[in-house]
Amino acid sequence: MGRFVIRRLAQLVPVVLAIATLNFLLLQLAPGDAADIVAGRSGHATAEMVEQLRRDFGLDLPVHQQYLVYLERLMTLNLGYSFIYELPVATLILERLPATLLLMVLSITLAIGLGILLGLTAARNRGGVIDNVVSVLALVIYAIPQFWLGLMLIVFFSITLGILPSGGMIDVRVRDTGFVYALDVARHLVLPVLTMALFYVAIYTRLMRATMLEVYELDFITTARAKGVSERGVAWRHAARNALLPVVTLAGVQFGHLLGGSILVETVFGWPGLGRLVFDSLQQRDLNLLLGILFVSSVVVVLANLVADLAYSLLDPRIVHQ
Amino acid sequence: MYGKMRRMASAPAVLALLMAVSAQAQEPKQGGTLTFTYEPEPSALSTIATTAVPTALVSSKIFESLLEYEGPELTPVEGLAESWDVSEDGKTYTFKLRDDVQWHDGEPFTSEDVKFSVEKMVLPFHSRGKVYFGELAGVDIPDEHTVAFRLNQPVPFFLKAFQPTETPMMPEHILSSLDLSDASAVRQSDFMQNPIGTGPFRFEEWVKGSHIILERNEDYWKEERPYLDQVIFRVIPDGAARAVALETGEIDVAPMNSVPQADMARLADLEHIELSNEGAEGLGPILWLEVNLREKPLSDVRVRKAISMAIDRSKIVDVIWYGQGKPATGPIVSANPVFYDDTLSPFEYSPEEAEKLLDEAGYPRGTDGVRFRMEQHFTPYGESFVRLAEYVKNELGKIGIEVQTQSTDMGGWLKAIYTDWSYQMTNNFTHNYSDPQIGVQRAFISSNIRRGASFTNSMGYVNPRVDELFEQASTEIDEAKRKELFVEIQQILRDELPVIFLIEIAYSHLYNSRVHNLITNGISMYSNWDSVWVE
Repeated sequence: MGRFVIRRLAQLVPVVLAIATLNFLLLQLAPGDAADIVAGRSGHATAEMVEQLRRDFGLDLPVHQQYLVYLERLMTLNLGYSFIYELPVATLILERLPATLLLMVLSITLAIGLGILLGLTAARNRGGVIDNVVSVLALVIYAIPQFWLGLMLIVFFSITLGILPSGGMIDVRVRDTGFVYALDVARHLVLPVLTMALFYVAIYTRLMRATMLEVYELDFITTARAKGVSERGVAWRHAARNALLPVVTLAGVQFGHLLGGSILVETVFGWPGLGRLVFDSLQQRDLNLLLGILFVSSVVVVLANLVADLAYSLLDPRIVHQ
Repeated sequence: MYGKMRRMASAPAVLALLMAVSAQAQEPKQGGTLTFTYEPEPSALSTIATTAVPTALVSSKIFESLLEYEGPELTPVEGLAESWDVSEDGKTYTFKLRDDVQWHDGEPFTSEDVKFSVEKMVLPFHSRGKVYFGELAGVDIPDEHTVAFRLNQPVPFFLKAFQPTETPMMPEHILSSLDLSDASAVRQSDFMQNPIGTGPFRFEEWVKGSHIILERNEDYWKEERPYLDQVIFRVIPDGAARAVALETGEIDVAPMNSVPQADMARLADLEHIELSNEGAEGLGPILWLEVNLREKPLSDVRVRKAISMAIDRSKIVDVIWYGQGKPATGPIVSANPVFYDDTLSPFEYSPEEAEKLLDEAGYPRGTDGVRFRMEQHFTPYGESFVRLAEYVKNELGKIGIEVQTQSTDMGGWLKAIYTDWSYQMTNNFTHNYSDPQIGVQRAFISSNIRRGASFTNSMGYVNPRVDELFEQASTEIDEAKRKELFVEIQQILRDELPVIFLIEIAYSHLYNSRVHNLITNGISMYSNWDSVWVE
């Protein structure tokens, strides 16, 4: 097990390096650079000012040299300076990462938990009313664009009912501390977490239902029933455990998706996280910042997949990592 | 306040009178928090680092300059300077500073700070520093509270320079330790994130991606000011979400078109929301079609006139900008209280005439009905500019010009228009600022045909007479004579159409009606809000 983890961590290096290289090359394709933008925003930039900025940012170097500088910095885990914020990229990312992780972990937990429960219930009532209601609802939610759902939730809960804040992470005007602060954050979390999770609830529900039905057809379920195990015991102890494997695989992969989805959700809800920073840095061609975020997020996604792999052996004792 | 009064004038007279009386009766209230928003979040909190709108909005509450301004025409009144004197030849400006002003860290504000701010900060690093202080010969400080600016030649708009965003006073005792020869050292200094000024509000906290908090400066030099305890900037990236936050009262002010145009009318109809299009006269936003004059067919003035005639400006205002704005009549916006030539007529809209001009210019319709094909870009400032590009494409298609639209992001747009000059036509949005010499001249003088310099003469427009007139206006201190020069410039630019002037976009400010005294002058959102109060 320990050796497996170490081997997987070692594999992480070439994967992340390949991603980093691809990111770097892709970003070279777009015309214009941060110097153009910084100068353009000022409204009165001279050509000399643009050149000066380009030198400051190291954008006057040939591409291969910029790439070498970039790699050299990555080796020492130095993510460089953001052109736009004039702050170290690592500082900016570390400020934002906790907010995004909070949002993501809560959303994925809710999505998996609710998805499994609904999927399982639907499968147990195959063809029944509950199954039909759950399946149709899942399909509808799956089809709703996330940003629209977010806005509708805001309209309903913030404007019509006036019970939840429309955005942000805390009520800045009050600035609570301690338990009241936590409660305030929780209030602000409800809508973004719902928006982010609902789509995945739909996916997991459908997946869980389908795999449960498959597992129900297998011989060992018949055996279990023959042994006199209760229907509830069959579902939870025998079928669900097996049906969970694809769900876990998908969750590992979807951690990356979720990070992408957080761009939309964080933008709609003004959530001060990493997704929002991606949007800003893309808009402003902040190469260092964007590369830094992509680097950190690729590490997070690769690690999430590692965790998913490890979870297999917990669920299915037949899988042994060596 | 005049912004609100004008809105009332359109309401039934009796009601208006009643409301005016009750508004008059209300005494300013001390205390409370004002929350506002803008997109994007600032990248720094000093206009020395960048003059982008969000930075200007926040930093103008923290920093002050020597003067303050009243009314749409920006009449200078005392600020950090309690009086000033201009020499007969217009080449020396002497300011007497207040002796009771201190920085937010408690150090006294002196003439040393003024000299340092202008010579070491604004002139080298502010993006308009050379426009204001390019003619500066020297700064004398005979004593702690006297500053004299000596100029090589008169600068007629010199007193406009002392706005909080344009010439902010910076603390020498903090900044002199920086390596001032290194622009990035200055931009990356901690000061740009943790500013210290003399203004009515002290910087308190900035949580990136979330909010910025400014607290009341208890030692402010104006008695009993500011009224507010706190000013908060909230980061709300999504336009629809900004509109909602204003509606629910989570924010009080959405300045300068920061909610989508499509939502404005609906919000303004709400009982607790006010809309004002005033208070930005000192910025003078204007929209035009920039055309590359280096190549046929756009080098032909008849073609440009035809394009101008094919476009219905009032439709652009009504449909694309939801009625917030008015057709432009030339390079200087009509809100300019001094130099706008009010005899100018609206541009003619006549697709039939446009077709005749194109025939005359030698571009008859081909067998497919097309006279010629061209490309256009659009400013990546959001949805309205895309819709404008679509409208222009559609209208020009009707007179036989087939337009293809190129989409780019900001970096790509700036490069195509100002570095490569590899464009044919693009919509563009710029500001007049408080004097034509600052915001208008830059786009039309031939010495500003410089690759890589943004918001300059990308068209390649050369007219020696226009150059000469701007040159004369730059040193003419008699305002009436100076106006004559600008009137002639407006005439020439209308006739030659180096750009196709479209509309004067309104800067609409939406705010909760519990907010008072918000609109006070032509740079209301860039003012220090020391007299703003909330119920």
